[in-house]
Amino acid sequence: MKKPKQPPSLRQAFLKAVLGFVSMLPMVIAVTGLVALFKSYVTPEMLSRLFGHGRAADIAIGTLTGAVSSGNGALSYVIGEGLLDHGVSVYAVSAFVLAWVTLGFVQLPAEVSVFGLRFTVWRNLLTLLSTVAVSYLAVVTSEILA
Amino acid sequence: MKQLQFKGLRFLFVVLLLFLGVLLFDAQKLPQMGAEFISIWAKILPIFALIILLTTLIHYFLKPKHIVKHLGEESGAVGVVYAVLGGILSHGPMYVWYGMLEEMREHGLKEGLIATFLYARAVKLPLLPFMIGLFGLTFTVLMNLYILLFALLQGKIIDRVIKKDILP
Repeated sequence: MKKPKQPPSLRQAFLKAVLGFVSMLPMVIAVTGLVALFKSYVTPEMLSRLFGHGRAADIAIGTLTGAVSSGNGALSYVIGEGLLDHGVSVYAVSAFVLAWVTLGFVQLPAEVSVFGLRFTVWRNLLTLLSTVAVSYLAVVTSEILA
Repeated sequence: MKQLQFKGLRFLFVVLLLFLGVLLFDAQKLPQMGAEFISIWAKILPIFALIILLTTLIHYFLKPKHIVKHLGEESGAVGVVYAVLGGILSHGPMYVWYGMLEEMREHGLKEGLIATFLYARAVKLPLLPFMIGLFGLTFTVLMNLYILLFALLQGKIIDRVIKKDILP
């Protein structure tokens, strides 16, 4: 008769978790390296110069610049405030802030290596569309309510 | 015991090549890049400790049949609630959560819930004061409600295209 599988001990569970973490290390080192590279070359001032081409174009630019940017989410609000002060529309700034925290082009290779190409492509495509839609709907709804 | 299989080795190789390029053509940037790299790791290391602890508890307490029941194909609304709450409460960069999600997926976590979890992470509780300061209270509430709505929609769409095998 087949012997029932024993549940793992706490030590085995911990070792399995550590093993999982160690196996992800090359990917995490690569992503953090790319983020460090990006932050050394792309400044907030460079980003703010990209806007000012109309509502639709600014939403697209906000989404794309947010997606290629990386770092702590709080930084996106600091940059967002600067963009609003420079006259960039709320549509574009909200898209920028949202894309910053939901999309991450620098981590795409990592996502592909973990979840596979088709899941990553579909998820990021849906996230891109959702970001544009959420920014647009939030501004329009708040204008209606105001 | 699970075999050690490194993820992202080719990606790491490409990034190392980029660093080599910087070393050869713009070496004065390297100290700044090194400082940024260390600063990022100082921030994510405590999160990794938390993730190792969470993953240990998952391995110890949650059996695959539990994951299938609460977060698998038949999990229904309960699974969605867990994914949304997990997304809202999770901290740090998205990539630090990949390992845990991958292990849970191997035990039956459905892919739509991964998409829901990852998009619900856009609701950043510690950053809400920044958001209210920048956009105002009404806009912040609306935006977060729409984020949650689209997190659910993404999960549904991902599940549907996978079930119908629409994904290329």
